[in-house]
Amino acid sequence: MTNIATRRAVALAAAAVLATGTAACGGSADDGKIKITVGTFSDFGYEALFADYEKAHPNIKLEARKLEFDAHHSQLATQLAGGRGAADVVAIEEGWLAQFRTSKDKFVNLAELGAKDLKDQWVSWKWNQGILDDGNFVMGLGTDMGSLALCYRKDLFAEAGLPTERNEVAKLWPTWADYAKVGERFKEKVTKAKFAGSAENIFTAKLNQSEEGYFAKADDRFIADTNPAVKDAFLLAGAMGAKGLTAGVKPFTPEWTVALKQGSFATETCAAWALAQIKSGAGDEAADKWDVTSVPGGSGNWGGSFLTVPKQGKNTKEAYEVAKYLTAPEQQKKIFAKTGNLPSEPSVYKDPEVLGKVDPYYNDAPVGQIFASSADSLKPNYRGTKDSKVRPRFNEALARIEQGKATPEAGFGEAVTQSRNEVK
Amino acid sequence: MAAPVTDRPLRTPQQPSSRRRRWPLARVDAKFTPYLFVSPFFLIFGAFGLFPLLYTAWVSLHDWQLVDGEQGFVGLDNYTALFGDPNFYNALGNTVSMFLLSTVPQLLAALGLAALLDRGLRGRTFWRAGLLLPNVVSVVAVALVFTQIFGRDFGIVNYLLELIGLDRVNWQADSWSSHLAVSAMVMWRWTGYNALLYLAAMQSVPRELYEAATVDGASRWRMFWSITVPSIRPTILFTIVVSTIGGMQLFVEPTLFDPKGASGVGGSDRQFQTLTMYLYEKGFRLFDAGYAAAIAWVLFLVVLVFALVNFTLARRIASKG
Repeated sequence: MTNIATRRAVALAAAAVLATGTAACGGSADDGKIKITVGTFSDFGYEALFADYEKAHPNIKLEARKLEFDAHHSQLATQLAGGRGAADVVAIEEGWLAQFRTSKDKFVNLAELGAKDLKDQWVSWKWNQGILDDGNFVMGLGTDMGSLALCYRKDLFAEAGLPTERNEVAKLWPTWADYAKVGERFKEKVTKAKFAGSAENIFTAKLNQSEEGYFAKADDRFIADTNPAVKDAFLLAGAMGAKGLTAGVKPFTPEWTVALKQGSFATETCAAWALAQIKSGAGDEAADKWDVTSVPGGSGNWGGSFLTVPKQGKNTKEAYEVAKYLTAPEQQKKIFAKTGNLPSEPSVYKDPEVLGKVDPYYNDAPVGQIFASSADSLKPNYRGTKDSKVRPRFNEALARIEQGKATPEAGFGEAVTQSRNEVK
Repeated sequence: MAAPVTDRPLRTPQQPSSRRRRWPLARVDAKFTPYLFVSPFFLIFGAFGLFPLLYTAWVSLHDWQLVDGEQGFVGLDNYTALFGDPNFYNALGNTVSMFLLSTVPQLLAALGLAALLDRGLRGRTFWRAGLLLPNVVSVVAVALVFTQIFGRDFGIVNYLLELIGLDRVNWQADSWSSHLAVSAMVMWRWTGYNALLYLAAMQSVPRELYEAATVDGASRWRMFWSITVPSIRPTILFTIVVSTIGGMQLFVEPTLFDPKGASGVGGSDRQFQTLTMYLYEKGFRLFDAGYAAAIAWVLFLVVLVFALVNFTLARRIASKG
C-alpha cells in the first residue's frame, strides 16, 4: 500500500513474467499440503487471516498474490483465455465483474458448492451483483462495498475561513452544486492549494449516486448520451475542473500520492476503501489534518469486490471454502477493524463494534457510523457489461478539460462519441 | 589459370573406399551435425517466433474475444476497420514522431561520444563502462524516475524552467512535450549502448589512415567525416536498423509515463499512445484480441518498411561521404 510507484513496477514485471507463460500454477505444496492461492489487488487485509485458516485446516496452505488494480484484472483475462495461471481464489472489482460475467463458463458455479445457503449474509443488491441466471449461477461472494463519504483537510478549511467541524462542514454541501460553490469560496481565500483532487473523482462520486450510469438497468443498452445523470455529473465536475478548482491529479497514482503529501488539495471524495489510501499517501505528517464527513447528494456506492473461483484451478472445492471463510461475517469484521474496508453484510456493519469504530488518523472521525449510515441509504448503481470500456473515455475527457484543452460541453460530446465507438 | 582444385584427388580409388568402410557414420555425421548445432535457434524461433506470428495472423481474421475465444471468421474485417480507425493513424503518427525525436539525436550523440572515447583518454575503461550503465538499469526504473523528473507539480525539469524565468510545462498534456519527455528516456537508455558499438568499430579502423591524413594536414573534423564515418558504415547501418525496430515498438516508457499506469491509452487525448500501446489497449483492456492481432500484423509490416527505407537511405548517405 505504501508505494504506488513500486507497486506499478512490480505489477508490470509480474505481468511480463506471466505473459511468457512461466507462472506457477496452483496445486500441491512440497509438504503434501494443498496450496490455495488468493489473488487480490490493493489492500484486502487477508494476510492476517491466513494463519488462522491454516491452523484450522492443517492440510491447506494459503498463498497471497497481489497486483495493482488494472494489471490484476487484465492479467486475469489473459489467464482465463490461456486456461492456466489464475489464482485459485480471485478477487474481481464490481466494475470489472460486469465484464467477466459474460464469460461465466470460465468460473465455477459456486451454487453447486452450496453458496446459495449463504445468500442472507449480504445486503441484497450486493448478492445480486454476483449472481446470474436468476440466482442459479453464483459467480462471486461479496467482499467490501464502497459507500461514500468526503474527506477534507481541516487546516486548509480554516485558512479559507470555512467551518472545520465535520457536522458544520456537512451542512455546507447538501448538494453537489453547493459543494462547487464552497469550492469557489475556497479559491478566493487559498491560493497554495486547490479545492478538490480531480474532476474525475467528483464525477464518479456523483454518478454513482444515481441508479443508472452509462447503461440501462433493464436491457444493458448504451444510454450515456441520453441519461441526464451522466451529463449533469460530467458538466458539474467539468466546470469545477475548468474553473481551476481541482488539482487535476489522476486519483490513486504516484502524482496523487505526492499531491497528498504536499497538501495540494483540500477535499477528496472517499469510499471506505479510500481512507487507507489517503492515509498512506498523506503520511504521518498530516495525521491531525484530515477529517471525514458526509458526501453531497446522499449516499452512493463506489467499488467493492467479489471473490470468484476460476474453473481452471485444481482444487476448486477447497478454494470455495477459503472464499467462504474470507467473506464470512466474522472475518469481514476483522478486516474492517484492520483496513477500514466496509463489509457488505448488514450483520457486520450494524454490529456495535463496527458502528463504534473511530479512526484516530482522521481526528477520531466516527467512520463506522459515517459509512454504515451511508450504506443503509445506499441505492446501488447499475454497472453495464461494457462499463469498464466506457468509463475511461469520460475520465480522459475530464482530464482534457482540466488541462484546458476542451470546454465541459465539448468534452462531454467527445466522450459520448468515443464511447459509442467502443460499444458498437 | 588452372581450374580450381576440387575434392577430386580424394576420390582416387585407394583412399575413399577404405575410409568409407572404416567410418560408416562419418558421412552422416558430416552432413547432419552442422544442422544439429544450429537447430536450437531454429526450434526456439519456430516455437516463440514463427508460430506466434502465424497464429496471430489466424486470430486477426476472426472476431476473437480475449477471454471467450473465437466468435467466428470475419475475413479482413479487422483490417478494414483498422485502416478506417483515426486512433490507429494517431498512434502511428506518435510512434514515428517519437522514433525520429529519439533516434536521430541519439545516434549522432553516440557517434560523437564514440569519437571522443576513441582518442587516448585517461581512465578509458572507466568511461567506457560508464557508457553502458544507463542500459543496465531496468527500463521500468528509468521510466518511473523520468516520470518524476518530468512531473507537472514537483518535477525537477519544471523547477529548473521556473528558476530561469520560464513557465511550467504540463509534460503529459501536449503532444510535443510528452514526445520530448519519452524521447529523453529512450535516448538516456540507448545512447551509450550505440556509442559502444561505434567505438568497437572505430577501434578497427587502420591507424595508418589517420597518420597519412595528419601528414596531409587534415583537420580532426575532416578525418572524422572522411575516414571514421565511412569506415564504420556497416555498424552505423546495423544500429539504424536495430533502433528502427526498437523505436517502432516503443511501449514501456510511454506506458509508464502515463499517470494512469498500464491503461495503454497514452494521455488524456492519446497524445503519446504508440502503436504497441494501442495494441495493448485493444487486446488487454478492451479484450478485442482479433483487432489487436490485426494491429500486430500491420505493425510488423510497418517496422519492415521503415527498416528497409532507413537502411536504403542511410546506405546512400554514408556512401556519398
